[in-house]
Amino acid sequence: MSFVNYATREIQLKIVYYGCGLCGKTTNLQVIHEMVSPDAKGDLTSLATSQDRTLFFDFMPLVAEAIKGFQTRFQMYTVPGQVMYNMTRRLVLRGVDGIVFVADSQWDKMAENVESFNNLLENLQLQGDSLDTIPYVIQHNKRDLTNIAPVNYLEFLLNNRGKRRPSTTSIAPQGKGVFETLNMICRLVLNNFIRENTPKSVNKEEKDLVLM
Amino acid sequence: MAFALGKNDVNKINRVLRELLDQSESTGCLVCDHSGYVLAQQGVDTQDPLLISALGAGVFTASRELARILGEDKFSAVFHQGEKKSIFICAVNQDVLLVVIFTNEASVGLVRLYAGPAADAIRGTLEEVRTRIDTMQEAPEYTFVLNDSKGGLFSKNTDATKGQ
Repeated sequence: MSFVNYATREIQLKIVYYGCGLCGKTTNLQVIHEMVSPDAKGDLTSLATSQDRTLFFDFMPLVAEAIKGFQTRFQMYTVPGQVMYNMTRRLVLRGVDGIVFVADSQWDKMAENVESFNNLLENLQLQGDSLDTIPYVIQHNKRDLTNIAPVNYLEFLLNNRGKRRPSTTSIAPQGKGVFETLNMICRLVLNNFIRENTPKSVNKEEKDLVLM
Repeated sequence: MAFALGKNDVNKINRVLRELLDQSESTGCLVCDHSGYVLAQQGVDTQDPLLISALGAGVFTASRELARILGEDKFSAVFHQGEKKSIFICAVNQDVLLVVIFTNEASVGLVRLYAGPAADAIRGTLEEVRTRIDTMQEAPEYTFVLNDSKGGLFSKNTDATKGQ
């Protein structure tokens, strides 16, 4: 759930990169941090194990003048992909405004991709959210490897919830597709924010229920 | 629907935070929610409030899970002691936290003593916001309009220098 501070004229939005272990979530943030202009970013903080596996989360703030008269702060998070860290994933998902689901394109990762996607659905349901209302993008990563599934197959597997959602292909370490994904999810989140906060679309009773 | 604080709400919370800083002799404090959003802060400008908020929210939620494992309903506060600086985090309500940073010249007892009433006052303000029916409509800036951005919102730094 987004936050608006009228005193500082600031909007805060939370975007989470989700996906199975070693699919490239952290790499996405690292590449964004390396490549985005210095005035648009804060420090990238990674809480990782000694083997560079995400233990808690990666966090990086991005700033943009996306909405007139307001400074928009995107809080970018990754979750730990390993199955055993589900409590941490739930914690990071709280209040999420947009999700990038990073899929590992390798054939032998298909089961893990599906398990991770189902885990995302479950965790959102537990906090009363749903992918029907939260904007998300699917990023098919690692497209440079040899043992990869065709994009059509990945789409059939992961992008099959009635209405098809936007998806991208990427080679995260080379920066290919990373910014396309970032801009796509930011645009979706901003549009959703504006739609939800436009008076005519607000049902008062609903507004009361979800105010906090 | 976004959770929104108007200028008056933020001023009220800032006043409470300033009083807390004076009374408890702490160096900085901030109010954040469990999503990691910073609602208000005083004296944390030199550090990154967003990062403190993100990590503080994580630490506190993890402590709640620890409490559950130990059979406690919840830990109402968390205290981390360093050599020079320490941090005290307590719950304002179910979703919001108060984080106080203080040097070891101040006492944790003093911080704890004043953090309680400060949390109560902030809870009161947030309760007012929650029960106010038309929070957003009171603000003149209610309509949000996207800035015209040619291309994407974010671009690679190298591309930007090429004028793309």
